[in-house]
Amino acid sequence: MSQPPAQVIGMGTVLDHVRTPQEVALPHVVEFRNVTKTYNAGKADEFTAIRDVTFVVEDVVGKGEFICVLGPSGCGKSTILRSIAGLEPQHPATSGEVLVLGQPVVGPGSDRGMVFQDYTSFDHLTVLENVTFGLECLHMPRKQRDELGREWIHKMGLNVGTDAHKYPHELSGGMRQRVAIARTLILKPRIILMDEPFGALDPLTRLNMQDLLVKLWKEVQATVFFITHSIEEAVFLGDRVYLMSNSPGTILEELKIEPATCSANEMQRQPKFLEAVYYIRDKITKLESNK
Amino acid sequence: MNSSLLNRLLRNWLTLRRPVSRLQAIGLGVACILLCLTGWWLITQGAAESRLVGPLTLPSPAETFSRFSELWNDFALTRNVLVTLRRVSIGFALALMVGIPIGVTAGCFPRVHAFLSPLIMIGRNVPLAAVLPLMIFIFGAGEKNKVMFIFVASVAFVTSDAARAIMDVSARYIDTAYTLGASRWQTISKVLVPLAAPTIFSACRQMFGLAFGYIMLAESIKIADEVGGLGYQIQIFQRRGFREHIYLIILVIPLVALVIDQLLAWIQRQLFPHLYGGDGMLRSLVRVTLIPWESLKSLVFYRTPASLPSVSTEERPK
Ligand SMILES: Nc1ncnc2c1ncn2[C@@H]1O[C@H](COP(=O)(O)OP(=O)(O)OP(=O)(O)O)[C@@H](O)[C@H]1O
Ligand SMILES: [Mg+2]
Repeated sequence: MSQPPAQVIGMGTVLDHVRTPQEVALPHVVEFRNVTKTYNAGKADEFTAIRDVTFVVEDVVGKGEFICVLGPSGCGKSTILRSIAGLEPQHPATSGEVLVLGQPVVGPGSDRGMVFQDYTSFDHLTVLENVTFGLECLHMPRKQRDELGREWIHKMGLNVGTDAHKYPHELSGGMRQRVAIARTLILKPRIILMDEPFGALDPLTRLNMQDLLVKLWKEVQATVFFITHSIEEAVFLGDRVYLMSNSPGTILEELKIEPATCSANEMQRQPKFLEAVYYIRDKITKLESNK
Repeated sequence: MNSSLLNRLLRNWLTLRRPVSRLQAIGLGVACILLCLTGWWLITQGAAESRLVGPLTLPSPAETFSRFSELWNDFALTRNVLVTLRRVSIGFALALMVGIPIGVTAGCFPRVHAFLSPLIMIGRNVPLAAVLPLMIFIFGAGEKNKVMFIFVASVAFVTSDAARAIMDVSARYIDTAYTLGASRWQTISKVLVPLAAPTIFSACRQMFGLAFGYIMLAESIKIADEVGGLGYQIQIFQRRGFREHIYLIILVIPLVALVIDQLLAWIQRQLFPHLYGGDGMLRSLVRVTLIPWESLKSLVFYRTPASLPSVSTEERPK
């Protein structure tokens, strides 16, 4: 291989190559084996969004890993995420295999919770009803699920007394994303998929949400796939960062990141944090200019 | 000074889409009615020969309103209004009961939609004047033909509007429901239908107004002596040359329509508080009536899954 050996850059370690399913010993939570997705295959406007994507996320005992995906716009990040979720039209892949816990993905399910970038609260349901929607689908008795729902509303930093019976249109963007995260986490999914969940939030709210997410993630112990355009966000949150190439996307580099030791705001001033951020930023700038 | 006041007034009145207070809105409406009445009075005042518009074309307001008690007592206005309303309501309710489930199914499953679209196409373009005699052939002279006429006139519209409303619900809500573990049936009943319901309701509310117009047509055809209803009354007055009565009925119909529409608007507000604010009385009522059914399902289907935690013991907000 002509690739350079593993390289330490600030908080990050750039692996010499993206690990393949064969070389990881621990059980696999998610694995992609040579996955290609071509939209509108066979038609005049066919478009290959991702090509030959291979990676593996292992099942770290006792706690899931936090995976961040970075890459130029349009490189296929959402495509990868929605393939894991089993949502159409990304699912099924044109070729290759998408496996979750060793099983091929056949469709969406609550074991893979998803938080979308745009607000997808159900407009006709109150905050409490939104948060307990998944439990209602499981036919959990009303009293029990309302109690759990209130607990999660509280955990998300919302006010149980005043906010629980509001409708989504009465909430700010940050509050809506809190609701969206709560209704996903309340189901204790094995895998949490987040597609730029904080993309529409102002910087300060964003930092608060990052801290909150880290706290809750430790509690639920799930594997998180987190797509973002913010490199700082990725380095702060991620245990591992996947860097994607231009379209048709593949995974270019895999970085292992030291766990953050303090809050987002403090972390983002430390030199070793910034070193990793600048390394990734240079890479992405180069990719964007090579489009 | 004066011009600046005028300026301000003009700016205030001509601001694009500035909301008006309820009182002002009603005041403006009343002003319009008064203006029309004045116009009516002006062109029909004086002795019969000297009027701008002759009494045979348009009787004066005084002449018209003086007939009201006759219309009310001798011609049983309320009974006729109720007869007409009953026909529209039954026919329209049938159209809703058939059209909405079919429309929702078509909206959820494009194959069903493709299959039904020729029928919907025909139904929406059917010439009503030709349907009416057909209904009489099929259902005879009684009440049935009028009820079925309303049904046939509106069912295709109800179906296609319901289908459209379901198809217009953004796909991201379906994705969200699926990733929260909803089954297909749950996605339809808990997400698609409730999100489309306000649109369907609005469409039906408008259509009810149209159906109210259609029924006049059906009632104006007399085969047996039964009939009754506003349309039939108009027919009689026309034959006897009672212009005043006809004008009165023309004025009564919008009033009835207004009352019904306000009632429907109230129901709409109470059903969909997320769109219209308020406390959503009817929505709560619907949810409360569903509780026993829901509890039953919990009893039958719910198993505490291993992965779901019971409520933790850490301090909880009250
Ligand atoms: N349903 C679709 N049909 C056709 N092409 C699609 C579809 N969805 C995405 N694409 C194309 O596939 C490519 C990758 O899309 P994707 O949404 O995965 O990118 P992304 O990395 O998430 O971009 P962004 O960062 O802007 O969200 C894009 O060029 C897009 O135009
Ligand atoms: Mg995207």
